[in-house]
Amino acid sequence: MIATVREFANRILGRGDATITVPSFDGALKPNQKLEAAETLLTCEAPEDLATDGRNLFIADGARLMRLDGRVASEVRSFERPISALCALSGGGLAVALGGREVRLYSSPSDEQPHVTFADTAFNAVNALTLANDNTLVATDGSATCGVGDWARDLMELNRTGRVFKLDLGSKTVTSLAQGLGHAFGACVHGNGVLVSESWRHRLVLVAPGAPPRTVLAHLPVYPSRLTKASGGGYWLTAFTARTQLVEFVLREPAYRRRMMAEIDPAYWVAPRLRSGISFKEPMQGAHIKTMGVIKPWAPPRSYGLVIRLDAEGQPLYSLHSRVDGVNHGVVAAIEMGGDLVLIAKGPGRVLKLPLAGLAEEFCS
Amino acid sequence: MSDIALSLRSATKLYAGVPAIDGVDFDLRRGEIHALVGENGAGKSTLTKVMAGVVTLTSGTMTVDGADVAPRTPLEARNLGIAMVFQENSLVPTMTVAQNLFLGQEKFYNRLRGIYIAAQQFLQSLNFDVTPTATVSGLGAAKKQMVEIARAVLHRAKVIIFDEPTASLTPEEKKYFFDLVRDLKKRGVSIVFISHALEEALLLADRITVLRDGKHVVTDDAAKFDRAAIIQAMVGRDLSNTLYGARKGTVRPAGARVLTVQNLKMAPMVKNNSLSVFAGQITGVFGLVGAGRTETFKIVSGVLKRDFFHGGEILLHDKPVRYRVPAPAVKAGIAYVTEDRKVEGFFETSPIAQNIYLGLLSKFPNGRMILSRRETDAVGKTWIQKLKVRAIGDHGKVVELSGGNQQKVVIAKSLVQEPDLIIFDEPTRGVDVGAIVEIHELINRLADEGKAVVVISSYLPEIMALSDRILVSRQGKVVEEFSALDATEERIMYAAIH
Repeated sequence: MIATVREFANRILGRGDATITVPSFDGALKPNQKLEAAETLLTCEAPEDLATDGRNLFIADGARLMRLDGRVASEVRSFERPISALCALSGGGLAVALGGREVRLYSSPSDEQPHVTFADTAFNAVNALTLANDNTLVATDGSATCGVGDWARDLMELNRTGRVFKLDLGSKTVTSLAQGLGHAFGACVHGNGVLVSESWRHRLVLVAPGAPPRTVLAHLPVYPSRLTKASGGGYWLTAFTARTQLVEFVLREPAYRRRMMAEIDPAYWVAPRLRSGISFKEPMQGAHIKTMGVIKPWAPPRSYGLVIRLDAEGQPLYSLHSRVDGVNHGVVAAIEMGGDLVLIAKGPGRVLKLPLAGLAEEFCS
Repeated sequence: MSDIALSLRSATKLYAGVPAIDGVDFDLRRGEIHALVGENGAGKSTLTKVMAGVVTLTSGTMTVDGADVAPRTPLEARNLGIAMVFQENSLVPTMTVAQNLFLGQEKFYNRLRGIYIAAQQFLQSLNFDVTPTATVSGLGAAKKQMVEIARAVLHRAKVIIFDEPTASLTPEEKKYFFDLVRDLKKRGVSIVFISHALEEALLLADRITVLRDGKHVVTDDAAKFDRAAIIQAMVGRDLSNTLYGARKGTVRPAGARVLTVQNLKMAPMVKNNSLSVFAGQITGVFGLVGAGRTETFKIVSGVLKRDFFHGGEILLHDKPVRYRVPAPAVKAGIAYVTEDRKVEGFFETSPIAQNIYLGLLSKFPNGRMILSRRETDAVGKTWIQKLKVRAIGDHGKVVELSGGNQQKVVIAKSLVQEPDLIIFDEPTRGVDVGAIVEIHELINRLADEGKAVVVISSYLPEIMALSDRILVSRQGKVVEEFSALDATEERIMYAAIH
């Protein structure tokens, strides 16, 4: 009873769970336009994930597996379903998640047949794979109800059905490490546990066997996604778009969301996007305000590009941005290769490259 | 008639046997602007209070227009043509401008309309854009200053003394004030003004007098001084390289996020403000007066309340907090060092140790019924030594201290709470150069110890010298962030205005 009254009061007063606020991009997340200065290595139709064995760079582009050699891209093979996650295995092998429902392991990327297949019925939206040790893979599954490509609906339905699975390559068994996550999207081994991105709760949690998830980094102003190890310790964390008060408001309006999902084309929902500026039908696309006599364009950002460099403890050191007026939005994957950071900006369908040298010095102040 | 409007010879004033001014000779020429500079505790305020009849000399003489005088009250001084405009204005906030102007000159029967008309004519003759029917509490700092000046002129003052007149004015208001003072000079009024902003003294004054430790050091034409020479005369050592001047070559790396402010609102001053503060860093917050900086951090520390509806969110160590009064904020580890120390900072007639101990009291979960005098004295003594508070005796009262030492007491009162987050609001306003260096060292030390430190300042050199990261506030919210390494005065000011 008291909880109901409190909830009602909070809705009226805009407090507690009904607070519609977003953290600011400051400190280590201070905006810049570094991602806009990145070199475009390749433009693809539907880039999704990256993997490297140290020599080759593999790109998941829809159902095709591409290899990038210098600036030349070649198709290694294609699958019957879109690739939703990639992971390089020791010994030159490759793990591939297909359509979020199946994980196949190949001894060589060009092999016809996988040597191991995990097609657990629990799999629904496997969106990231990471190698825990020589014999174990960790997979994050964003949602038990919405598919990999239907992440916006998963957010709008306020689903908290993300899971983390341990895939034992020896015994070919699948074990659930965590469940009830707000869209698990990306994982990386961290000590004895696994660092997992929880997109809808805007945080990183440490998932360790036998313990509830522990928050490592919270209150991010973005929706975090995949994680990879960085040289010199720490991690690269990508964020596929920024949070806005507009979306936060919509998330607290169930009736509005229900009607929006029922009646409006998903492309024009008031929801985060990987790219924007495509149509006049997009919400709040052409707003402006008058400040000190000058009309300034303004709109809540629908899409954004961001990758965050974390230290070994999972705390932000600096970040690379593509702001609202940029193009390289919807960053979903980042991986170090040689002396470069290779990224996928899913919005424009680009594979980007940034030299790592000097990045820390430039942004770590 | 002599060229000298007012003079003091061998002026000495003792407080409890300790000289506040000691054998000072001072001449004020007719129609000149005379700047009085010196460290806090140098005796500037005492000297001007003697002139204005607030205190009387222990020994020495004072002459006005060649006649020996010894005003014992401000009224006597006013009758001699000497008026003083205090740093904290002496207007009655609930009365109108006109009523304040004629306060003390009321007749048995007063026709309000007549007062307003007379005030209107008088203000127009001074070219002051102030409405006589406006209530003083609704006026800005500059307009209040105008009313104070108008009142002094109305009383036919031949000598007007200004104590820190520009401390609370915006750059535009300062310019307007300087024009006013020059206009008064043209009318033949002699001006004495105390200022810690040495650039103002150099810009405005005809002559400058420097006092140090209650003694006269030098008086000369302003043209013969530069900033470094004044500072050297004030402190007896060259501080020009350490005071504000040194630009940061490195910045401290950010530690854990201590404070997150999200979409904070308090109409009309704070509008959707968001910012973060990190441990082990000094976060400087710059903005023009009215940018909502002080209000934001007063909300954080429970002094003010955010909007009742949709007022935003404050997270301390990633946990939402909402303080309705300061005590729980203090318990949670937030200390706010006020910009208005005389009103909000201390009980001025209480001993220093008691004031410092008061800060500690709010840390006790349920308060304390019985206080230990021994503990109070011990805590006070420790912090007086730590912060080098220069007091007359161990049981001195705060009112007897100079501005810089009063500020140190306010800081001690906050630090005794052992906070994680310390917010300094204008930490060196009205503080002399020697104390500025000490306070800056203290602030840096706190950040080095891993505390999250916020410095709100309207003085750009201070922000640039202290801060590791600089947040610029405009119209109620933070609009720009700079690293101390790539900030310039021009960039910061541009962000603050445009």
